[in-house]
Amino acid sequence: AGPSSAPAAEPQVPVDCVRANELCAGEAACSARYRTLRQCLAGRDRNTMLANKECQAALEVLQGSPLSECRCKRGMKKELQCLQIYWSIHLGLAEGEEFYEASPYEPVTSRLSDIFRLASIFSGTDPASASRSNQCLDAAKACNLNDNCKRLRSGYISTCSRELPAAERCSRRKCHKALRQFFDRVPGEFTYRLLFCSCRDAACAERRRQTIVPACSYEDKEKPNCLELRGLCRADHLCRSRLADFHANCPAALRAPGGCPGDNFQACLGSYAGLIGECRALPRAAGPCRRPRCPPATRAGFDVTPNYVDASPGGGVLAPWCSCKGSGNREKECENFLRDFTANPCLRNAIQAFGNGTDGTPSVKSPLLPATAPSPKPERSPVLPDGDSDTLYGTSVITTCTSVQ
Amino acid sequence: GRAKRARARHKPCALQQLEVSVSELGLGYESDETVLFRYCSGSCDGALRSYDLSLRSMRSRRRIRREKLRARPCCRPLAYDDDVSFLDAYNHYYTVNELSAKECGCV
Repeated sequence: AGPSSAPAAEPQVPVDCVRANELCAGEAACSARYRTLRQCLAGRDRNTMLANKECQAALEVLQGSPLSECRCKRGMKKELQCLQIYWSIHLGLAEGEEFYEASPYEPVTSRLSDIFRLASIFSGTDPASASRSNQCLDAAKACNLNDNCKRLRSGYISTCSRELPAAERCSRRKCHKALRQFFDRVPGEFTYRLLFCSCRDAACAERRRQTIVPACSYEDKEKPNCLELRGLCRADHLCRSRLADFHANCPAALRAPGGCPGDNFQACLGSYAGLIGECRALPRAAGPCRRPRCPPATRAGFDVTPNYVDASPGGGVLAPWCSCKGSGNREKECENFLRDFTANPCLRNAIQAFGNGTDGTPSVKSPLLPATAPSPKPERSPVLPDGDSDTLYGTSVITTCTSVQ
Repeated sequence: GRAKRARARHKPCALQQLEVSVSELGLGYESDETVLFRYCSGSCDGALRSYDLSLRSMRSRRRIRREKLRARPCCRPLAYDDDVSFLDAYNHYYTVNELSAKECGCV
């Protein structure tokens, strides 16, 4: 190992996997082992891989390298490349097929209170409108008055509601991509307000349900089985990562006071929003894909985008578009997967806390008070930095297809 | 009062903005959603071109008599803002283009 690139001097913050890969490439031993491991994993399942001595040795060596500790950031430049590197190591490290997987994303340290502080700048709710307040309508207003939010919201709405002459109602793929851009590039104080606004009547709840244009992005002719859906999601680096992140930040089973790990509601809401939209990095071919570009996916439309199942006011029930019909003897496993969305105290509390404008401790509801305190109306909305510079779905998708042979 | 109003009238052509509800736009959509409407207003006194002066001269010399014409520049959008999408009262999404001005000029 070269002394210049020794990981000892690294700070406590995990290195991102793209950087870790660069560090590894600088060391002859590390890069050789990593290449071996990638070849081991290509087109083979974990057990046959571990039966190979050379593969096992490669894995053991890499466990001490910065690669084994690396993480990715949601929405980062080269996110797909980062996730690909992460899973190339962790598919070997994981204990086989687990129900929940560790998240490849860095832990979220910001809190809801940060968003509220920002949101209060934008809210400018005057007392007259607060009395007949429709939080979801106010959220739409806040978005429309911000150039970046308005542009990307109009972007996904026009894409998702454009009717096609053919049998398809809309281009689901394009719709998901536009939604993904909206949730990745617009700050949470806008997107969360649209997605998690709290409602007292059905009109408001219907507006909330319509946020992601469910007719195009969510509903489908058939409801697939949830486990089949999860299987397809796990076959894809991006979808798998977002799902693992959701399970890590919104665990359903945790018996904490607020229901979320560390009472971090922000992390739960963020990873929920991370599931919406294009959750597919590449069309997965049946065998190892050697060509520079893989053929297009044959089964389009499978993803784990969740939404409100109906327009009932209050918290609302969330679920991906799937059911547990046809689960056979895995019915319980399927129900568990679905319950992580439909009956998840952490997710429910996080949404409620956001609606009430509270953070941390479980909220004491005050139904007659408006959620946002009336504040002086700002002269004009501050314009947020335009996050258009990074193209997320660029050429890095193709690298996933070029195999290592 | 009066001086202020006079000054306001002689503001040069520029972009102004207004928060309005979609219903107020008068485009036939029913929606409580609020959008930002940007428009062009202001005077174009400083932007008289030789074209305008000559046109006035032709008119006063009655070389041009019947045609409708405008012999002074007008404060109008040079470019329009991106599309605006909204949900209406019947839960349908609509997208309107060229609703709002982005840049103004005396043309």
